[in-house]
Amino acid sequence: MSASHSAPTQASPMNVIGRPHPRVDGALKVTGAARYAGDHYLPGMLYAVPVGATIAKGSITAIDAGVAEQMPGVRAILRRGSFPPLGRAELDMSSADTTSILDEFRPPFDDDVVRYYGQYVALAVADSFEQAKAAADAVRVSYAVEIPDVDPALVAEKMTVKSERGDAEAGFAGAAVTIDQRYAMAPETHNPIETHATLAVWEGDALTLHETTQGVINHRNVVARMLGLPAEKVRVISRFLGSGFGNKLWPWTHSPLAAAAARTLGRPVKLVLSRAMTFQSVGHRPRIEQRIRLGATADGKLTSVRHDYVNATSILDSYEENCGEATPHMYSTPNLRVTAGIARRNIGTPTSMRGPGAVPGLYALESGMDELAVALGMDPVELRLRNEPSIDEGLGVPFSSRHFQECLRVGAERFGWSRRDPRVGAMTRDGLTLGWGVAACSWIAERFASNAAVDLRDDGTARVACAIQDIGTGTYTVMAQMVAERLGLPTDRIEVALGDTRLPAGPVSGGSMATASLVAPIHEAVAKAGAALIAAACAAKDGPFSGSRPEELDFVEGKITAKTGNRQAMGFDTVLKALGMPAISGSGSGTGTFMAPGKPTVSKHSFGAHFVEVTWQPETARLRVARTVSVIDAGRILNPLAARNQIEGSVVMGIGMALFEETHYDARNGAPVNASLADYVVATHADAPAMDVHFLEYPDTSLNALGARGVGEIGLAGTAAAITNAVYHATGVRVRELPLKLEHLMS
Amino acid sequence: MSDPTSNPFSAVEPNSDLLSVVLRINGASHALQIDPRATLLDCLRDTLQLTGTKKGCDHGQCGACTVHINGRRRNACLALAAVHEGDEILTIEGVGTPDRLHPLQAAFVARDAYQCGYCTSGQIMSALALLQEPCGPGDDEVREYMSGNLCRCGAYANIVAAIQDVRGQS
Repeated sequence: MSASHSAPTQASPMNVIGRPHPRVDGALKVTGAARYAGDHYLPGMLYAVPVGATIAKGSITAIDAGVAEQMPGVRAILRRGSFPPLGRAELDMSSADTTSILDEFRPPFDDDVVRYYGQYVALAVADSFEQAKAAADAVRVSYAVEIPDVDPALVAEKMTVKSERGDAEAGFAGAAVTIDQRYAMAPETHNPIETHATLAVWEGDALTLHETTQGVINHRNVVARMLGLPAEKVRVISRFLGSGFGNKLWPWTHSPLAAAAARTLGRPVKLVLSRAMTFQSVGHRPRIEQRIRLGATADGKLTSVRHDYVNATSILDSYEENCGEATPHMYSTPNLRVTAGIARRNIGTPTSMRGPGAVPGLYALESGMDELAVALGMDPVELRLRNEPSIDEGLGVPFSSRHFQECLRVGAERFGWSRRDPRVGAMTRDGLTLGWGVAACSWIAERFASNAAVDLRDDGTARVACAIQDIGTGTYTVMAQMVAERLGLPTDRIEVALGDTRLPAGPVSGGSMATASLVAPIHEAVAKAGAALIAAACAAKDGPFSGSRPEELDFVEGKITAKTGNRQAMGFDTVLKALGMPAISGSGSGTGTFMAPGKPTVSKHSFGAHFVEVTWQPETARLRVARTVSVIDAGRILNPLAARNQIEGSVVMGIGMALFEETHYDARNGAPVNASLADYVVATHADAPAMDVHFLEYPDTSLNALGARGVGEIGLAGTAAAITNAVYHATGVRVRELPLKLEHLMS
Repeated sequence: MSDPTSNPFSAVEPNSDLLSVVLRINGASHALQIDPRATLLDCLRDTLQLTGTKKGCDHGQCGACTVHINGRRRNACLALAAVHEGDEILTIEGVGTPDRLHPLQAAFVARDAYQCGYCTSGQIMSALALLQEPCGPGDDEVREYMSGNLCRCGAYANIVAAIQDVRGQS
């Protein structure tokens, strides 16, 4: 395991930005003291356990709760009609304060129609978890059953053009070398180790939710609309989140259900989903089928790229997996056509899963590029180097900062790619066949609108606040770093407050955008606090800067300094004490770039290259991912310790995507049959390879003053393709259906 | 010993359906009235508010609820609380505190051996047991011994590094 950095950027005064920084919340996490949503308990709290439909298509004809209602400790078996119907939240993306986004729009208990297995049909509420669980199991639901459609073979309702240039058909027809292949991917379930939890408590007409959410503000706004409340009557708290990978981005139906139950029963209600429920009703990455057609000249210049894809979605919601996100800008080609479609199934609504769109899309594109390299008899690194675009040819604008070729070259060097024998099965070590594969990765670099507030305090500490979340990526720490750097303080003097809608409105933690979104508002908040301190110091009748004019002073690294003369600078704590003020505040805000109206003037993306070595033992059919090298161009890295962890974690998840992960739906009743962590296999300690992560570190100041992009998702893009490309090199078998199974290799 | 009716968070009325048990947890005795169906995991969390032990799957598949019973690591979700009277139970709260970290906990912080932190208690309880188990010196052996503890964030490399730091094997 190693990590290193090239092109070091200028060190900040406190060396706190850009250096490995242990997490400021680490001691709470390693002692069990960090309290997650489900760790909260309130006096008189009741426990709720949902009853999920055991069919995937049909309607409820009767709910017999007679036995359940008589069981010890049971307070209610709630169902449609037990409380006034919940409202439907409408999509609103207009501002950081009002965002209202969700994927499953139908409110729980809205009608008696069942459209997927596990759809909530009732809710058992009791004094203890054991009582609620037993009661939920005792509820008898009768259905008019219909045959569900969970067919994995996808046919789109219609195909929509997402990006087009030139004449892709003619470019393909006239190409010297072509490939035309289909790639399929099984439905994946996110499976953060923390399952979803809601603790709902009412005080009068005001609701507080302790919630597992990647977006407290968005969650508040959605739940307020469903409950018919003004947003200011709802508080959502998520101070620690047991990750989410996207399935806690948008509210799911259990949350308003818990709130409605608490309102109906006049008691706090805790609802924690079982692991099995998280396979049913909180989103997943749907099954995706893609077709890649590539045409190239004999010397490997692309003449045509076609990328067509279809994803499954639910009956009511039109979730689109944007697989073509990276395709238009990844390589230079005069002719390109990307089309997309959806196919409806009796399965719960899909949602964003780490790197939505680009991750499955780059699995297909980067598999196709490897197949093209084989068809051309060309090294796959060389093929990619030859098709480097000078601008984003999809948008027709320059890249803000693209160093993909350097990722390939540095990665090849670190991996030892020059020693690769391209012949299938030609490389061996210790009796094992080696396979070496490469694939590119890319991910959007954008920011959301956000606000922040900073308090400077007379004890020499500062507090930074934003209603953003730390989903495990290190947001607490990077916020502390940002303020520490501006104030010239160590991070242990910075208090970070996040995960609470009472704080200045912040964005969702998604799209790898949290860090980039925070820079401008935090910098402005520090500057405003400093300006307020200067104004107060100048206005004071008696104090160190009495009689000065604000324009004569500066606030630099936490100190008031005179712009001219050699007057000694004075720290904010000393000034505050002299003024008799306990604290002074500043607030800042930053605009968003994500989905901003108008045509962008620059294309902002991160890039990278993964190199993978697999070992293959044909005698025992044993396939292992042995080592990986990932070179990532994601702007300036603010905390290399946390950033490397993100890339390594993504590579581990990519091993799962390539080799293990698949949600199976029973054709008879639509149930996800492997809805457990024993049967849905994720990568374990024993599956983790030796990983080398390297960041190029070219600051991209198009997004923020620190030059940071984001690193949460890009590492998952391309990993699966690099693995299956390596498997081809080892075995000669091209696997075009994820996850790869041993039977693919043994046939 | 705590008063059996002192749990302010329990809505359950003490009654004849409940069992009276005394559990030894982190060196202290707790007299409890518990549902005979309660797992040790739910008892720790719901009855004692010892929430450092996490529920990830409730089926013994993820390891997030790992505790020690008489010095051996166990999945608390697969143990019925009522049958562990007289046993010495150790949870993450008994290992160290934020102000006084156990060396293993300090190593996890130094190595960034987590991301979201939700599986971390279980990882540390397993690692703490591993230190006493006949685990070979290599990283591969540690990986095998730790494979009952899933980390979906995938911080495996750093977890192994933290454990090896404490074992003096890095």
